[in-house]
Amino acid sequence: MVLPRSITLPLRFARRELRTGIKGFRIFLACLALGVAAIAAVGSVSSAMMAGLEGDARRLLGGDVDLRLVHRAADDAQRDFLAQSGQLSEIVSMRAMARRSDGEARSLIELKAVDNTYPLIGSIELAPAIELDAALAERDGVFGAVVEESLATRLDLEVGDHLKVGDATLELRAILMREPDRIVNFASFGPRLMLSEAALPATGLVQVGSLIRYHYRVVLHPGTNREAWLQELDTRFPDAGWRTRSLENAAPGFDTFVDRTTLFLSLVGLTALLVGGVGVAMAVKTYLDGKTETIATLKCLGAPSALVFRVYLLVVLILAGAGTMAGLIVGATAPLAASALAGSMLPFQLPVRIYPAPLLVAALYGLLTALAFSLWPLGRAGQVKAAALFRAVVAPLAGRPRAAFMLATAAAVALLAALAIATTPDRVFAAWFIAGSIGAFGLFLGAASLVMAAARRAGRPRDPELRIALANLHRPGAPTPGVVLALGLGLTVLIAVALIQANLVRQVTERIPDQAPAFFFIDIQPDQVDRFNEIVRAIPGVSEVRTTPMVRGRIAEVNGVDAEALTVDPDSAWALRGDRGLTYSATPPDGSEVVAGEWWAPDYAGPPLISFDARIAGDLGVGIGDTVTLNVLGRPITATIANLRRIDWSSMSMNFIFVFAPGTLEAAPHSVIATVRVDDPGTETTVQRRVTDALPNVTAIRVKDAIEAADRILRAVSTAVRATAAVTLLAGTLVLAGAIAAGHAGRVRDAVILKVLGATRVRILKAYALEYGILGLVTAAIAAVVGSVAAFVVVTRVMRADFVLAPEVVAIVAAIATAITLVFGFAGTWQALGQKPAPLLRNE
Amino acid sequence: MNSPDRSNSAAPMIQLADVTLNLRSAAGEVNVLRGIDLSVAAGEAVGLVGPSGAGKSTLMMIAAGLETPTTGRVRVAGCDLVGLSEDALARFRRDHVGIVFQAFRLVPTMTALENVAIPLELAGRNDAFEAAEAALAAVGLDARTGHYPDQLSGGEQQRVAIARAFVSAPRLLLADEPTGNLDGKTGDAIIELLFGLARDHCTTLLLITHDPVLAGRCDRVLHIADGRIVEQDARQAAE
Repeated sequence: MVLPRSITLPLRFARRELRTGIKGFRIFLACLALGVAAIAAVGSVSSAMMAGLEGDARRLLGGDVDLRLVHRAADDAQRDFLAQSGQLSEIVSMRAMARRSDGEARSLIELKAVDNTYPLIGSIELAPAIELDAALAERDGVFGAVVEESLATRLDLEVGDHLKVGDATLELRAILMREPDRIVNFASFGPRLMLSEAALPATGLVQVGSLIRYHYRVVLHPGTNREAWLQELDTRFPDAGWRTRSLENAAPGFDTFVDRTTLFLSLVGLTALLVGGVGVAMAVKTYLDGKTETIATLKCLGAPSALVFRVYLLVVLILAGAGTMAGLIVGATAPLAASALAGSMLPFQLPVRIYPAPLLVAALYGLLTALAFSLWPLGRAGQVKAAALFRAVVAPLAGRPRAAFMLATAAAVALLAALAIATTPDRVFAAWFIAGSIGAFGLFLGAASLVMAAARRAGRPRDPELRIALANLHRPGAPTPGVVLALGLGLTVLIAVALIQANLVRQVTERIPDQAPAFFFIDIQPDQVDRFNEIVRAIPGVSEVRTTPMVRGRIAEVNGVDAEALTVDPDSAWALRGDRGLTYSATPPDGSEVVAGEWWAPDYAGPPLISFDARIAGDLGVGIGDTVTLNVLGRPITATIANLRRIDWSSMSMNFIFVFAPGTLEAAPHSVIATVRVDDPGTETTVQRRVTDALPNVTAIRVKDAIEAADRILRAVSTAVRATAAVTLLAGTLVLAGAIAAGHAGRVRDAVILKVLGATRVRILKAYALEYGILGLVTAAIAAVVGSVAAFVVVTRVMRADFVLAPEVVAIVAAIATAITLVFGFAGTWQALGQKPAPLLRNE
Repeated sequence: MNSPDRSNSAAPMIQLADVTLNLRSAAGEVNVLRGIDLSVAAGEAVGLVGPSGAGKSTLMMIAAGLETPTTGRVRVAGCDLVGLSEDALARFRRDHVGIVFQAFRLVPTMTALENVAIPLELAGRNDAFEAAEAALAAVGLDARTGHYPDQLSGGEQQRVAIARAFVSAPRLLLADEPTGNLDGKTGDAIIELLFGLARDHCTTLLLITHDPVLAGRCDRVLHIADGRIVEQDARQAAE
């Protein structure tokens, strides 16, 4: 292919320019590579996760379709239809307690009763390697069970030992090494215990109102159209009330988790890239400042401005290509690293391969960032006057480029924003992020201008060091804008992350222990309530026992509109998704406050009324007088909203979205849940043992265990957030180093001249300390405000939690940042202070 | 190098009529040039002398189309420079003007050969490198074509700059103190080279110098002070 001369000539000149290597472009390359690597890595790992999930969807789902009913099993007609459609497997799951047969140890478990067709897809792995049927079969009147290793350890059991679940005694036949349909679940309260469906009745756990989930998995006959089959299912059994999952949503919680995590991490990666962009702009400016003489020479020899622009644009693009490529290589290998580090924690094989789509997106981000941040200085390069060569000193680039270059810069920024919005699943969030970023850029640039203007107007202080410091802040070519931008953006992210984390930790560790009960007891039968109270109240140290009836039901209609047809704010979609706990009460429950409407009279006896959670009602767009139809165990109950409550979910009390007025739910089969508070944590074991010994069907959930589970999630989340925040901070530090390095030669010269004029090293050091101290403090102050606002928005709007400003966190982060600025400033100055004046003056 | 016969051209190579240049600065307006009238014949060698800040460099920049006068007419090599765009002026320089600087102004990332080839590459000449080699040979540097500027002595760098200035056979050569950075002996050699090439190519020469010997080689010497031509000395022309 023959390229036109308008390309070959600039290419030839650009190649000659690049002969000096990457000197002066190290920060440029590092910034781009870092940002691109972060975005490419997040995208690649996320794609790998989704590919793995998709590849293993059938195994994770346990069939082509999974239907779930709560509280009740499918009826014969339903079961017959499912059995005729293909291979059917029935599974029952619930929470329960397992005890060692001597009663010395007990644990909450996730119980799973399986039939003999389980698993339909994939295979189960046991140690010793025996068949599952054999492991669960009845032998000498005792059914077998297999458990996860953690349960065996907790109860100190070995294969062959006996354990009790409910009323049944089981023999531990093997350790469950791998369960094909178990999806990663940070929040699972207990380890798995698997037994045969035939063993379940003997446990006595299947009682009316118990929280039991019945799963029906079907591998459809070959050639069945799944969509058509699902439609037929719906037509045949419109009121079945089951939750249907097929291959497209095999693990809805998990893919939402991957989606949200990807969103946050890619935006943090983008922040790193944007902070790096400041480094890109500074590197290009410094490089072109050093090229003004060459540019003037070329123009003297007849090179038009357009050629000069093209030559240096090509130089920047070639280097940007190299930096981007380096980032892509790191990002492309991320699935390999993720597989090695976290592969064992995932419920599926992470497919390690190259994912072109996220790499392409990351490459576009890299190149657009390079363009957006370099077009401005490149535009100014074309304006270098050839006449400058006749003057002693060729002035550095200054002022604004021509309108065309400003427009091109704006276009590159717009493309970058469009790319961010187009490639982010949550577009509104991405748009806000972009607006916030541009706002932060503007704010910090404005702040830098203000600092420079203030330094200029400060007059001439008597203190010579302060005078030098102020002059350094505003002199032409001062690093002030670069330092303020880089440090400011990095610090904003850091402060926001630190504050969000502090708020999360506070939610879990500070507030809960004071208010939370020690135990939740679930699946208490109504006729066991008196006995339960008797047992618990007899234990010294128990300070409070509360019981509440609970029925499960799901929202079927809102104001006569089918729940599936409603469009709801994603934050509240969970309320519509499955079964929710319902209760009834004559008086308003603790931990909630009626914010609209009136609570009913204690002796109310009329048509069904409900009290509804105010926030979810707001998201659903309903209020007092509207109607909600709930499907309670297959029966639709339509109730009118009488009042709205604001619920404090963090109180860990028994909170319900829906509370019915007396007179509606009493007749429905239900169980009772209870909370127990203790004064002395030492009595917890006694409470758990006495209740579960006397009432084997009752399950105890220790709040401390639940908090630990929540803590595990938080820790995993904060590690990821911290890691990506570190990437941003690293980019900021690189830029800061670049900003200070850019002025290094000038620094050395200034220091030498000051020394020649009689300044001691201490005085020079003091001047620099003042300069960087002022910069660090001003930037830290602004970043503290911007970071706090960002944290406030995330905590209150995204996480819907109360925000508490932690001034000590802000102060510590700001102090560290100021110290970092000083250290970097000194590092740049130290060499200058050590210089002997003579050699430098000779070279001048 | 090409050496076209252009000595018979009747029109002057440089014509400046009532040229003034006023620059604004923080301290107020500075009148850098105050009404310059000048005509330089084709093939003539003119020296500009005068104290620092007199306006010598500015006058040269105006002749090269690097500076636009505030008032007056500028006609060089048959082109009216006033009103031309930046890029048209760049093309004008490429086609008609060669410049030699006191500080050489070679591009540090290019070899001697590449530096010399630049004007021809810009003009789209396919034989740029052959012609550049010939130009370097003409200044005695045929063995140094692959060297970078920082691998050459000051005198060698200035010879490369002269080869670059002459390579496209310009009709006008501007030289700003071409021997100012060189020792006496090297400076003499450069003067010989410059005048020899100008003579061979019938190139008009306008040079700034503080060196009386160099000024003495010119056909005419203009003394400039305070933005005006205060004296014309046409000794050489009278001989």
